Amino acid sequence: MALFNVLVVDDEQEFRDMTIKRLIKRDIIAEGVESGELAIERIKHGDIDVVLLDVKMPGMGGVAALREIKQIKPLIEVVMLTGHASVESGIDGMKLGAFDYLMKPMEFESLHEKLCEAYERKKIQQNKIEQAQIKHDMFFFPG
Amino acid sequence: MGPTDTKEKYYRHLRKGLFSAFFIFILVPTIFVSWVTLHNLRQSAIQRIEMFGVRMAEERSDAIRQYLDQQIQILSTLSGMYPVKVMGNQDHLDRLFRAVNERGHVVDLLVVDAKGTQLSYVGPHRAAVEGKNYKEAEWFNDVLIGGKHVSDVFLGYRNIPHLVVAVTDPLKTYVIRATINSETFNALLHQAQMGYSGDAIIVNPEGNFQTPSLQGVKELTSAERELLVHHEGTNSRVMDSFLYTTRWIKEGQWLLIIKFKVRESLGSFNERRDNSLMIIAAATIIFMFSAVLLCRYMVGKLERSDRRRADMDQQMIQVEKMASVGRLAAGIAHEINNPLQMITNQAGWIEELLPDEDPALVKNFDEYRDAVSKIKFHVIRAGTITHRLLGFSRRMTTEKECIRVNELIEETISFVENEALSHKIIIERELDENLPTTMSDGPQVQQVFLNILNNGLDAVDHDGKITVSTRADDTSIYIEFSDTGPGISPEVMKQIFDPFFTTKEPGKGTGLGMSICYDIMKKLGGKIDVNNKKTGGAIFTITLPLRKMGEPGHEGEGTFGYEGSIS
Repeated sequence: MALFNVLVVDDEQEFRDMTIKRLIKRDIIAEGVESGELAIERIKHGDIDVVLLDVKMPGMGGVAALREIKQIKPLIEVVMLTGHASVESGIDGMKLGAFDYLMKPMEFESLHEKLCEAYERKKIQQNKIEQAQIKHDMFFFPG
Repeated sequence: MGPTDTKEKYYRHLRKGLFSAFFIFILVPTIFVSWVTLHNLRQSAIQRIEMFGVRMAEERSDAIRQYLDQQIQILSTLSGMYPVKVMGNQDHLDRLFRAVNERGHVVDLLVVDAKGTQLSYVGPHRAAVEGKNYKEAEWFNDVLIGGKHVSDVFLGYRNIPHLVVAVTDPLKTYVIRATINSETFNALLHQAQMGYSGDAIIVNPEGNFQTPSLQGVKELTSAERELLVHHEGTNSRVMDSFLYTTRWIKEGQWLLIIKFKVRESLGSFNERRDNSLMIIAAATIIFMFSAVLLCRYMVGKLERSDRRRADMDQQMIQVEKMASVGRLAAGIAHEINNPLQMITNQAGWIEELLPDEDPALVKNFDEYRDAVSKIKFHVIRAGTITHRLLGFSRRMTTEKECIRVNELIEETISFVENEALSHKIIIERELDENLPTTMSDGPQVQQVFLNILNNGLDAVDHDGKITVSTRADDTSIYIEFSDTGPGISPEVMKQIFDPFFTTKEPGKGTGLGMSICYDIMKKLGGKIDVNNKKTGGAIFTITLPLRKMGEPGHEGEGTFGYEGSIS
């Protein structure tokens, strides 16, 4: 499994810490923040591939955060985390470009799988863009 | 039972009240007007009788006066024609008697000289008057002073009532007296037609009868004596249901009284009154009958609409209760989900870390691994429950969605399976694998399933079987729930979908379950049928219409549970 960076955004510290621990155990570089605002700050400064984003958080909600993230770094894939009562938010998120949503409580395995799939897609997208960039460069700066 | 009694009483009161209102405001005025009209008719009829009476009294009094005048005239003629010598001659008087008495109404003739000595007599009582002196007799003196005399009816020497007419000759040398046959005189009076109970009599101012009563009475009643008051012309008045017409005759010496029984004389009026009464009675009966029908109809209608409203209220309460239970359940489920997530995570973490350990060094390595996997299993179970609770709360919003009936059944069975197992009831599934999906309201359909399953469990009680089968044709999906219970009695069958009908003990069932099911299915365009199987036990068949996405639903009109209620 290729290494990639995951940012866990959840206001519940225990959930965040445990998820990070378990991701690291699976060789994924994971870190966490507790709010949408902090997540946006973090993304601006660092190299994040996939964001695990809770829908229901104090302050900036998950959906609003998703919108900003997609504006700043469209390539970053986002997996939404919802409760049963906020399935609609997850669906809204997907319309805004989230990779998928997961309903709590879920098995860690499915979370892991979802994150990997998200990263795969990010890689594909990135490759496509790089190819396009190369073509573009060759056209404008040949030789 | 209490409230039902009160309601019954209320509607009974209402019916009575309405009927009384009809009675008072329409019938009573009608009766009053009829009474007034009849009374007026009667009064005018009495007036006509009065006029008739007055005419008759005048006619009779004229006839009597004429008769008496005629008698006086005859005697005056005789006395004018013959001197006392001739009249005193017995033979001559005999001849005269025969001449004047052709009609036979003169009983006798008597001639008395101016000194009161009897000169001659013709009549049946010669012996009694022979040689008698009349000097002291009142009538004799009366004649000598006034020239003529008409007596009251008196018994005289012969002890039979008779009437005496006497005159004197122009020179007052003798007096001739005639006794007039009372019957001839009476006949004059009694010619008048006065009906069965009527009467015509002549009395003197003392009230003594001068003529016999047609009714055989001998004297006036005390009320009738009040009539003995002198008055001019003819009077009439009504006393004791008799009409009395009175007229003084013979210079105020006699009172002619003619009396009619008012009722007998009202012949044509009575006939008209009877006709009117019959029409009024017939109209009254018809009216009362229609009033009763109308009252019954109106109150019945009111009762039905009241009952329907009460049913609806009850159902709304039930729905609201379910909704609040649903909200509560959703809240709890949501709160529990987070800790459940933490438990899974922690257990998962342990599971992940375990392989790093050396099994040889950890004494209970396998036990730990088992425990962790059990924790995970039960968290999944708890998760299923919270999902179900959340699903239950979402049931309150009615939505059309694509439903898979078999899945709904599986889910519903899972709600009751534990209870079924504890009562040793097997729930068997005969589900059509290729059952099509349909557009309907999943949660509501599920509520119906749950209700029927619960009723089935109650019916079977223990050690039995409930079979759920599904099948479909081109138009509908059929879901059958058959049980091995005792079946449904005909009485229960009749009322099974009635609101508040329950076979359960008081306090155990609202009696709304089946009625709500009926409403739900009607609203969704389907239906519920109940039957008993020949082999025993009941069978409920739910028919759900088959609809593709986008197809307009044929929903029952109106609000929930109202139009659909069974009446």
